[in-house]
Amino acid sequence: MPLDSSTYALAHLRVDGRRWKELRRIHGQMSTQAAADGSSYFEMGNTKIICTVLGPRQPTKSGGRDQSREAIIEVEIGVAGFSGMDRKKRSRNDKRTQEMQYTISSAFASTVFTSQYPHSTITIVLHVLSQDGALLAACINAATLALIDAGVPMQDYIAACTTGSTASYASNDEDADPLLDLNGMEELELPFLTMGTSGGEDKVNVLVMETRIQMPRLEAMVSVGLDGCKQVRNILDGIVREHGKKLLSSR
Amino acid sequence: MAPYTNIPLSPAELSYLHTSLAQDPPIRPDGRSPTQFRPLVAETDILPSANGSARICFADGTEAVVGVKAEVERTGRKGGLVRGKEDGEVEGEERGEDGWLDVSIEIPGTRDDDALPVFLAAMLTEALLADGELKGRLVIGRVWHWRLFVDILLLSQPLSYPLPLLSLTTHLALLSTRLPALISQKDEDPLFNDDWEASTHLFPRQPTTNEPETKPPITLLVMTVGTNILFDPSSDEIAVADAIVAISATEDSKDGGLKMVALRTVDPPSRLTSAGVPTQANTTAGGGLSAEETLKLREKDAGATVWRPPRGGVSRTVLGRMIKKVVEKGGVGEEVLEGLRGVKS
Repeated sequence: MPLDSSTYALAHLRVDGRRWKELRRIHGQMSTQAAADGSSYFEMGNTKIICTVLGPRQPTKSGGRDQSREAIIEVEIGVAGFSGMDRKKRSRNDKRTQEMQYTISSAFASTVFTSQYPHSTITIVLHVLSQDGALLAACINAATLALIDAGVPMQDYIAACTTGSTASYASNDEDADPLLDLNGMEELELPFLTMGTSGGEDKVNVLVMETRIQMPRLEAMVSVGLDGCKQVRNILDGIVREHGKKLLSSR
Repeated sequence: MAPYTNIPLSPAELSYLHTSLAQDPPIRPDGRSPTQFRPLVAETDILPSANGSARICFADGTEAVVGVKAEVERTGRKGGLVRGKEDGEVEGEERGEDGWLDVSIEIPGTRDDDALPVFLAAMLTEALLADGELKGRLVIGRVWHWRLFVDILLLSQPLSYPLPLLSLTTHLALLSTRLPALISQKDEDPLFNDDWEASTHLFPRQPTTNEPETKPPITLLVMTVGTNILFDPSSDEIAVADAIVAISATEDSKDGGLKMVALRTVDPPSRLTSAGVPTQANTTAGGGLSAEETLKLREKDAGATVWRPPRGGVSRTVLGRMIKKVVEKGGVGEEVLEGLRGVKS
């Protein structure tokens, strides 16, 4: 279903009534599942993700002893058949899913102190229950919360969000506004990138863009993205602190 | 069934468990009574993009989410021809096909075509289709019908046999499933009311009390140890089960009681654990018996002094008692349904 984004220029309001720099409602929970070492539930608008972390533990995969001096981060993403508008079953070795798994694993490999756990694996399992844009960003945020819940030492949170640009054609370049946190309908039509940073906006861990964009627009998108990641980081921090308070008061 | 075969219990522990469970009344490791269930947390209508959904968290931390999605499909297209009335068969209103219900189960760490998810999906499908009412409700007209996709996700590692968890979650998800209201005539190309408030429940409800008139079946796991019948066994208890039976029960529309719709036996993992060897038969411990004595010990005192995996099947009377305990008035089945009734979205 093509989205009519031409109305944006009239009132500077997006289809769901947000301004260009507004995030959707973000909600997160930690320790949602007792059976896992760490778990979290994360919502970004209508994108809903449950994440569980197992480990650090002995590598389960058979064949050849693992001689590495660092922990391996395995990521499994399961996109539920009922998560989208139409029921579609993604197979486990779907190329897009595999790429997301690789992206998440390499992002966390740089911020988790993997050298503390030689010969072991940390498994991050992500279940996508409902998707409405910013899938990769929500997965990264959910994984951050679950890793913190599992007590895996990390340098910092990785907070992620998406940014897009209004109008995908080149003619009105000067009018093009960067947009923060696209929803599923906007993602279908507009060019966007996913960004994940740690340490406020000091270090970019993830930058993925699958669509094309005019070069001059990129800078504005990146700077809006950095700002968005900072906001997301504050929200994640709030969730962690609230969870910590709850834990301490229940003792 | 790989996850349940590697039981981290020694023959001595198994023997201890078996003896305490075989006592009258049985002593369960967590102190429950034989018919008592572990506490669970449940919620329904959790996903906006699914027709119906539910989530259940068991006390041991295992968690499942079920999403139900319905799609409109054309009926009776075979070889490009619409089957008309010329077939000579009476087109019943309340008829449907088994293939319209699609149950798939995802368990982390297993492939989709592993024996466990396929077996569990078959068991749940069988129970849902058994009374034929559900597929009848999927009929829209002669030309169109709903196709129901039930996607079951186990979110945690399968710590105990996941069947009751998955079945109860599916029950709640189907109860909350709603289909958009039809505003076109039955045999026309279907047109639906886009007001979700006007949608109808797949399991119709009474307009006054909002209680469902019929309910989808539930499948309960029942195990026996000796003559004792235990409900909702934990993984430790399953390890010493003599027999495990999955019983599906649903509400009988005639008298309001319960009736059994499907029954399957599940191979207990205890058959795959090795038997213990008593000290006097252990050659390395200085024992050693003649062939005759060994035979006597092995065959005659089954499990009296040392852990022995159960042999043979389950007796008819015990099976009858198990079914009765589930379906009788005020039995376990009614208790479970009553408990699930309290779940709000």
